[in-house]
Amino acid sequence: MVQGNTPAPGSAIESVEDTPDTLHDTFTDSRGSRLYDHFKREWQIYVMLLPTIVWFLVFLYKPMYGLQIAFKDYSIFRGVANSPWIGLEHFETLFSNDQFIRAVTNTIKISALNLLFGFPAPIILALMFNEILHATYKKTAQTIVYLPHFISSVIIAGIVITAFSPTAGIVNTIIGWFGLDPVYFLTQPQWFRPIFVGTGIWQEAGFGSIVFLAAIAGVNPSLYESAVVDGANRWQMMWKITIPSILPTILIMLIIRIGNIMEVSFELVILLYHPATYETADVVNTWVYRQGLQSGQYDLAAAAGLFNAVVAFVLVMTANTLSRRFSQTSLW
Amino acid sequence: MSGVNLSGIVKAYGAVEVVHGINLDVAEKEFVVLVGPSGCGKSTTLRMIAGLEEITAGNLMIDGRRMNRIAPKDRDVAMVFQNYALYPHLNVADNMAFGLRIRKMPKAEIATTIADVAEILGLTNYLERRPADLSGGQRQRVAMGRAIVRHPKVFLFDEPLSNLDAKLRTQMRAEIKRLHNRLGVTSIYVTHDQVEAMTLADRIVVMNDGAIEQVGTPMELFNHPANTFVAGFLGSPPMNQMKGVLTEHGAKIGDTEIKFDGFANGQAGRDVIVGIRPEHVTLAAGEQTSALPIELDLVEPLGSEALLHARFGNDNVVFKADTKGDIQHLSGVGEVYVPAPLIKLFDAETGHALNAKG
Repeated sequence: MVQGNTPAPGSAIESVEDTPDTLHDTFTDSRGSRLYDHFKREWQIYVMLLPTIVWFLVFLYKPMYGLQIAFKDYSIFRGVANSPWIGLEHFETLFSNDQFIRAVTNTIKISALNLLFGFPAPIILALMFNEILHATYKKTAQTIVYLPHFISSVIIAGIVITAFSPTAGIVNTIIGWFGLDPVYFLTQPQWFRPIFVGTGIWQEAGFGSIVFLAAIAGVNPSLYESAVVDGANRWQMMWKITIPSILPTILIMLIIRIGNIMEVSFELVILLYHPATYETADVVNTWVYRQGLQSGQYDLAAAAGLFNAVVAFVLVMTANTLSRRFSQTSLW
Repeated sequence: MSGVNLSGIVKAYGAVEVVHGINLDVAEKEFVVLVGPSGCGKSTTLRMIAGLEEITAGNLMIDGRRMNRIAPKDRDVAMVFQNYALYPHLNVADNMAFGLRIRKMPKAEIATTIADVAEILGLTNYLERRPADLSGGQRQRVAMGRAIVRHPKVFLFDEPLSNLDAKLRTQMRAEIKRLHNRLGVTSIYVTHDQVEAMTLADRIVVMNDGAIEQVGTPMELFNHPANTFVAGFLGSPPMNQMKGVLTEHGAKIGDTEIKFDGFANGQAGRDVIVGIRPEHVTLAAGEQTSALPIELDLVEPLGSEALLHARFGNDNVVFKADTKGDIQHLSGVGEVYVPAPLIKLFDAETGHALNAKG
């Protein structure tokens, strides 16, 4: 049958075959004119998008030009363009520098703790909020846990330093009730990471729970009603309906979190750490800050920053690929 | 006896009462359809039976046991929801097994039950698929499967077909009816679609504004509506209702007198509503018929029959006529004939049906 429909070479049908293309050209707008029409129709949206694009260009793309100093013997007198290329020398210096290796290790350890305890905290909080039935109590509780997010890191650090103070801090006061000696928490390296991670959870878990609460609000209420008729209790509904339903959101947030794994909160570390706690507290960002701005080694600091960015890029790509493969959820 | 009995059921949200003392007996194995316009309280009533809404007052009995304060899971009812309520992260088999696992049924027994019900519903080949990979009709079947596997005493359906297209709705309607005939489980079905109500129900409960207007078999309600609301709600197109005045020999609508016996009995001059079903008129005069002069406005062909939209006095009316394969002969219609025995009369003030010789 198919062969029967194929025109013989040179037949009348063959010459007619040109017609569809001609018709296509006649009735289809060119890509350019469609694009023009599109911009003409939607220009307001692009105007609204413009500040974001400008921000990205000025603060993220333009500085990339300066990244080349990671491969140069940079001098502020010769400038970025005229400084001589030295290849991977700065990276060799970095990886032979014990302090940098320590900073990388600390960054990974703090991030791992953050991921382990800090990532589930807002999810658990959102699930707990979802179980509160009394509206006023729920709103009050939510407001209280959102508040720390809006407090400046300087004040947060001040509160933490005061709370852990060996003389007047609430923590040592409680320890004192049990007849124990005060602990100098912020000068002892072993306490830095738990305090830092705990502070981060206290400051951000509440605010972070908003995303998950929004996801929970999107779960079809009849799923719960159906489960109630089927005999599920609240605990079973949480495990079998709520968590699986918000899993795509959890995975997206996890991918974003993994992308930021090398970005340990720089401000809070600077505010809470102390030379005595560098051993556990010094992270890549604080090391870059000290080398770059305080010691004037901009090229070495740029190499460390680039290393940080490459690691983050690889991690986010890997997490995204794994998530797409195993859960059909991904950022892109 | 897995019957359901509602006596004086009231639902109020604060000071606002939305269901006003419903009394209804649903017999074992009976298929009862609650039908009414949006906001009439039919879904709320069903949800009270399921235990998803608290009962403000009255008694709900299932299988002879008072259920007002019994948890939904212990009422032995299964519900099919309007939007299916399928768990998107579970496949068909797991969706159907959800309630059984919660009730800790042995795995082997769950597998057998799922296989049996999947066979009944034609879902055997789809057990591994997730809801997103199913068509609307298949999802609907899974939702029903999830209810069936529980072997409940009562099935509750909350507008289960309203998300389907017209063709699939007709098909699924027949499947539900067949399923009910096969399983024989007491079923209460909520819909706003009077065609679903007429085709599925053993008995129909017509609700309006939180109260029951009439309960009866589909044909009882169609032939003997208790009031103008039921008359206007059941039937497609609905019954034509025209204001008139009783005369010694019938009723006068505008300048037209239609003749019938048995109603006047000295009540001439009483204001009434005259009800004429669209399908009850004929295009030719017959025995005991009265002529209605009409101004034809529009003819809508439906295939074997056509809808005649017309003006009759001050009223817009719709009548049905056979096309006999062509609608040309309908375009010149200026008069239709209504048989006296099929005319319905309602009190103009209360809307209640008037019985002949009443």
